[in-house]
Amino acid sequence: MRVEIGDEIPGWLMESVRPERMRTMAAILRDPNPVHWDRDACDAIGFGKRTINQGPLGLSYMVNMLHAWAGPGCITRLVMTFPKVVLDGDRITARGEVTGKRDDNGRRYAECRIWLDRGPDDHPLQGTATVRLPD
Amino acid sequence: MTSPPRSLPPEAEIRSIIGHQFPGGPYTVAHWENFLLTECTGAELLPDGMVHPVVLFHMPILGSRTTIGEMFALGQAESDYSIGIESYDWEMFEPLREQVPYAVSGKVVAADRMTPSDGRIYDRIQFQFEVAQPDGVRAARTTITWHYNRGARS
Repeated sequence: MRVEIGDEIPGWLMESVRPERMRTMAAILRDPNPVHWDRDACDAIGFGKRTINQGPLGLSYMVNMLHAWAGPGCITRLVMTFPKVVLDGDRITARGEVTGKRDDNGRRYAECRIWLDRGPDDHPLQGTATVRLPD
Repeated sequence: MTSPPRSLPPEAEIRSIIGHQFPGGPYTVAHWENFLLTECTGAELLPDGMVHPVVLFHMPILGSRTTIGEMFALGQAESDYSIGIESYDWEMFEPLREQVPYAVSGKVVAADRMTPSDGRIYDRIQFQFEVAQPDGVRAARTTITWHYNRGARS
């Protein structure tokens, strides 16, 4: 796999963030916060009747993008910030670009900037990833 | 002149949780759990029993024998709505796999009162978790940094 600084990582699309997946996730996480499963609770705090996606779910879209690019198990580090929330019904694309590359003990790694894209200048999650590149 | 919000816990109480260690214990990701988790992400199951990395949010928390609710309470969160995420930092040293009894530990590594120039008050609390394979080899380390929002200085 040939990688250069500045390369764009192929995007990964979540056509519509689904509230039922948030409910399943809330149960698995044992997360009591109603913003992930109760639209009325979200309405009461100003988000309208749309539930808020769990942060790890948004992060997982970027994991899926990186796996599709460099293979399952390729990620060695993710650092993620959450400037905005993702809501049910959002159309989200995970995107990334290579910002650096290095060799370590015979293995090749790419440093990447990654983010979620909801539209022009609308990036609800932003972070970095270290990816081990396939031989 | 500033006056603290009514629910503002004493700064010393917040700082006193630094070093708080959760009980810790084993955690095994069952196939059904990985299946449902992976479906929630919109991806196909990974090969060879590999667990989707999204497990690195809840597995360290539950494996160290705490809960999100307890972590909120430890920092005296005003409500579920008062928590903001600063960052999640997930280091993966080995791929995680289904049906492996990982050893999990976790503790509070930072707790500080923050008063930025925008007038807000919040407590920045950082939790760190370690996940090890049964043979002791480190598999993952995660760091959760949350803001416990306390309102605004008046």
